[in-house]
Amino acid sequence: MAEVEETLKRIQGQKGVQGIIIVNSEGIPVKTTLDNSSTVQYAGLIHQLVMKARSTVRDIDPQNDLTFLRVRSKKNEIMIAPDKDYFLIVIQNPSD
Amino acid sequence: MAPKRPKSGRSSHPDEIFPLVLTSATQELFGCRTDEDVTRESPYKLLKKDNIIQDIKTRAAVSDFSPVKQIVLDYPEEEMLLVFDRSFTYGQCFYLVLTPEAKDRILSPPEPETPEAFESEVSKTPQPKLWISLGSEQEIDEESVTETREKLCYKFSRVRRKFGVPVCFSDRNTAAAKDSYLECASYQDSRFSIKQMQRDCGTQAVPRLQSSSAQTQWYKNICTQYYPRELHEEDIDSTVQAESLTNLFNSVTPRVLQALQQEEIMNVFLDDCKALGTLAETDDWSGKVSEDLVLHYAFTNQKYTKDKKISSINWHPTIFGKVSSVIAVALTDKKKVQLDESSASIGIVFYSFSDPSNPQLLLECPCDLSAFEFNPSNPNIIVGGCVTGQVFIFSSDRDDNKENNTPAACYCAVSALQSSRKDPITDVQWLPQTFEVQGSLSGRQQNVDQKTPITPDSVPATFKHLDQTWKPLLRVRQCLGFAIQNSRLNHDFKCTTNFTLKFCNVVLFLFFCRQDGEIVYTDWKLEKDESGRLHSAKPLSCFRTHQGLVNTIQRSPFFKDIILTSGGWNFAIWKEGFMDGPIVMSPSSEQQYTAGCWSLSRPAVFFIGKEDGSIEVWNLLESTSEPAHIHAHITSAKITCVKPWTVSREFLASTAIYVWSVSEGIARFSFLGFVSHTKTTYFHYRLKQEPDKPVKLQHENREENMKEYSHYLTLEENVLKGLGL
Repeated sequence: MAEVEETLKRIQGQKGVQGIIIVNSEGIPVKTTLDNSSTVQYAGLIHQLVMKARSTVRDIDPQNDLTFLRVRSKKNEIMIAPDKDYFLIVIQNPSD
Repeated sequence: MAPKRPKSGRSSHPDEIFPLVLTSATQELFGCRTDEDVTRESPYKLLKKDNIIQDIKTRAAVSDFSPVKQIVLDYPEEEMLLVFDRSFTYGQCFYLVLTPEAKDRILSPPEPETPEAFESEVSKTPQPKLWISLGSEQEIDEESVTETREKLCYKFSRVRRKFGVPVCFSDRNTAAAKDSYLECASYQDSRFSIKQMQRDCGTQAVPRLQSSSAQTQWYKNICTQYYPRELHEEDIDSTVQAESLTNLFNSVTPRVLQALQQEEIMNVFLDDCKALGTLAETDDWSGKVSEDLVLHYAFTNQKYTKDKKISSINWHPTIFGKVSSVIAVALTDKKKVQLDESSASIGIVFYSFSDPSNPQLLLECPCDLSAFEFNPSNPNIIVGGCVTGQVFIFSSDRDDNKENNTPAACYCAVSALQSSRKDPITDVQWLPQTFEVQGSLSGRQQNVDQKTPITPDSVPATFKHLDQTWKPLLRVRQCLGFAIQNSRLNHDFKCTTNFTLKFCNVVLFLFFCRQDGEIVYTDWKLEKDESGRLHSAKPLSCFRTHQGLVNTIQRSPFFKDIILTSGGWNFAIWKEGFMDGPIVMSPSSEQQYTAGCWSLSRPAVFFIGKEDGSIEVWNLLESTSEPAHIHAHITSAKITCVKPWTVSREFLASTAIYVWSVSEGIARFSFLGFVSHTKTTYFHYRLKQEPDKPVKLQHENREENMKEYSHYLTLEENVLKGLGL
């Protein structure tokens, strides 16, 4: 439990990180550092995106699997790391 | 012995050949034993005529060669050919060739005649050949469609009285009426069965899909409202405790951290060259072009930059983009410094990449500037250090001179003459402070680095007020016994924040370096000496590592306690806190190192400029004893200053004669630069480089508490005022 907290702090302490969300496999946020409305919005939208991306990768090659997804926009970058049961969303504002 | 004549009717030998039989003794004598010296493959043996004559003489009638004695004696040449005739072509197992012509003919058979090329005068049309049937007509027969029987033709007619009455046709199913047809049903014949030994089958992976929907029972939904699902409290707690969350972090964190670091270091999607708005072509190119460089720009301006030397150069910290990337260039006169009041000499010239011939802005000051810096929090404020020892403040958003096409502005403030130094200022740095424009008490602070005057004190000064009333705040006394010293200050601060109200526990450490190569590490803390005045402490340590003027001290942008110094003939890397000496010292090189700086995007890479105009790229991860890459002879003059561009972290400007931009990405490494003596030119090239192993960043989150510090400074100022300093 403390490990989790400590890791979260470490990620949060990186330069430019705006928020971290942990979402379970159904798309419901479990832990977050943003406010509730943004969290819910991110979780719902990104969950669908991750499912789509994962199914794309697996359709092309069933032995393959999605490991990391980065969405870069003009204003910031969203990094999604999927796992077996959860996935981790980090929103970063790159310093340049 | 007379040779045996062939009894059989084999073809008699031609006249040049004489069949011989040789006894084994003779064979041994002449070295032509059957199947040993002569074989089917090499049947030829050349015998010396003298040997044969000798043999004949020796053995007279017994000799095998006696029948040919006369011929041998008459033989014109020295060697005769003896041929081993395995197949007894001419009756005996050997034959002797009697004439030299035959011998030559046998030994070197003539070339076969080349057949003459037949020309056909007129190419006749090929005659049609007879048809050879290969079975294709059977296939055609099988495929063709023919009538198997004649077409049946039925004619129907009705009674005349029904002529013209509509007729109706209908269908009838034969199965409806009994016995209307006869069928022969198929049945399984038990006598005849084929067992299937092999079956083709295929498999396909089909994703499991489940679709479901929900709909209200209403006929039409006027509006819908939903809210997101959320977990209950206990669910959340149980989830968080679960081990799977730990697993998630274990598996995911390294990737995430690496991605975050990458993002933080640089923006890989930004193309700096495009962003600079490079021109398609320029016509004013100067300077050498090495194979890796491409000239892009020439900045030239006859009016302002003629005969001037660039003393310092800086990128504008925030203006970035296609139109207005700006490089500010401080110009000094090559000739001796004179205060020339008649013509306000140009201090700083701003060039933009979109318009290389006309400067965008001029900042004037009465004497030549030797160093300048942009204020990091407000890039419109520029502080410049002058050759006379005064410090000027410029504001680049003013426009005093409306007549010219080029906007120009005069300086805003200057330091007091009596409290500033007398020698040229070599470096200026901004302290990391909050900035307020209107010169209130917690105003900006600058640390002006100065060359020491003739007195043995060297004083960095901190100014607080605008406009002729600047006075130094802190004086650092260096009693080191050198008469005339020119030291170049380069401060990087580390500041801890527990301070009492009165005096500093705010600890500032400074690295000084001196012209003779000594590096001094001092505490900026004020102490009281005998007379009760405050002055700086003695230096904590000093090292003489460089043999010449130290021109660069710079903190690494990634590690807060690693410092690069370069000067003289070598460079050194220091770690703060480890004060026994440099942690890395380079071997001495042949030319002087005149400039150096860290790379902003790769932690172990730094650039050293040399006196002969080349730039060395050092990569500490690869080797510490030699540079990773040398860009040799970029310019013909020495490089005096190297500066990275913080906006994109990719460009590096080095000067004073040449200015470079370095762009490095994860996989590419570009150099951009420009040159000036009377003009500035802009180079660009790229070369591929292997990416290093990723370096972990250390983040020490020690941040100054700005407000408290400025409070402290206010207090300090008050105190010093009270003391009359």
